[in-house]
Amino acid sequence: MTRALGWLAVLGLVVGLAAGFGYAPREAVQGNVQRIMYLHVPAVLTAYLAFGLVLTGSIGFLATRRPGWDRLAAAAGEIGVLFTGLTIVSGSIWGKPTWGTWWTWDARLTSTAVLFCVYVGYLLLRSLIEDPDARARYAAVVGILGAVNIPIVHFSVKWWRALHQPSTILGPSPSPIDPAIGLALFVNWVAFTLLFAYFLARRMEIARLEEQT
Amino acid sequence: MPSNWGYVFAAYGIAAAALLTYWRHLARRTRALAARRAAKPRAA
Repeated sequence: MTRALGWLAVLGLVVGLAAGFGYAPREAVQGNVQRIMYLHVPAVLTAYLAFGLVLTGSIGFLATRRPGWDRLAAAAGEIGVLFTGLTIVSGSIWGKPTWGTWWTWDARLTSTAVLFCVYVGYLLLRSLIEDPDARARYAAVVGILGAVNIPIVHFSVKWWRALHQPSTILGPSPSPIDPAIGLALFVNWVAFTLLFAYFLARRMEIARLEEQT
Repeated sequence: MPSNWGYVFAAYGIAAAALLTYWRHLARRTRALAARRAAKPRAA
């Protein structure tokens, strides 16, 4: 099952690359550098999904004390950090030719950097506590508190005057994106979600094996 | 408008390297744990 999910993710990524580099047109204003968005946007949406699962697993563990919820939170947290890192790096590379700088202390960029640091801290906390029950309890509290930052990241472009453009995918009004570009984004988002599901299954299996050995 | 392909390939290259490295880390960890489990003497 996990192996099939992995191959499905590979297929999705290949189709996503074809959609982003072959099917989608060159963007009229930004040119080819806009193609980084087929990586940047799915990466941040996957990170939101991952940290949403950290929240779910944390609440589930505190409510039931079942270790499966803690395994879900730990696995999702690690993968969420990976995808947040990819979001920051790809956004920085896009920013240099578009904004003229690798980094600026804009509200969206800063809140995303804080999100990254919070969940790196979450993973550090997990690695520092040896007692499994205490680790799961403390991590669950951080997992719940850390999720507060997700809406701050998402709505930062509305709440503060930011250099980063407002949301075009999860915004309140219909998306102004060209249908071909929208489709390429959608295909890549599906591919990243499949990859996330594959990584999550593998990482949870490792957590289960660690508990048994 | 400059083509900026260098930035595009850099972003995708770094992402591919990061994802492949993480995948290899998961595969190695699974193999190591499975081997440790197999080597562990079973209780009678």
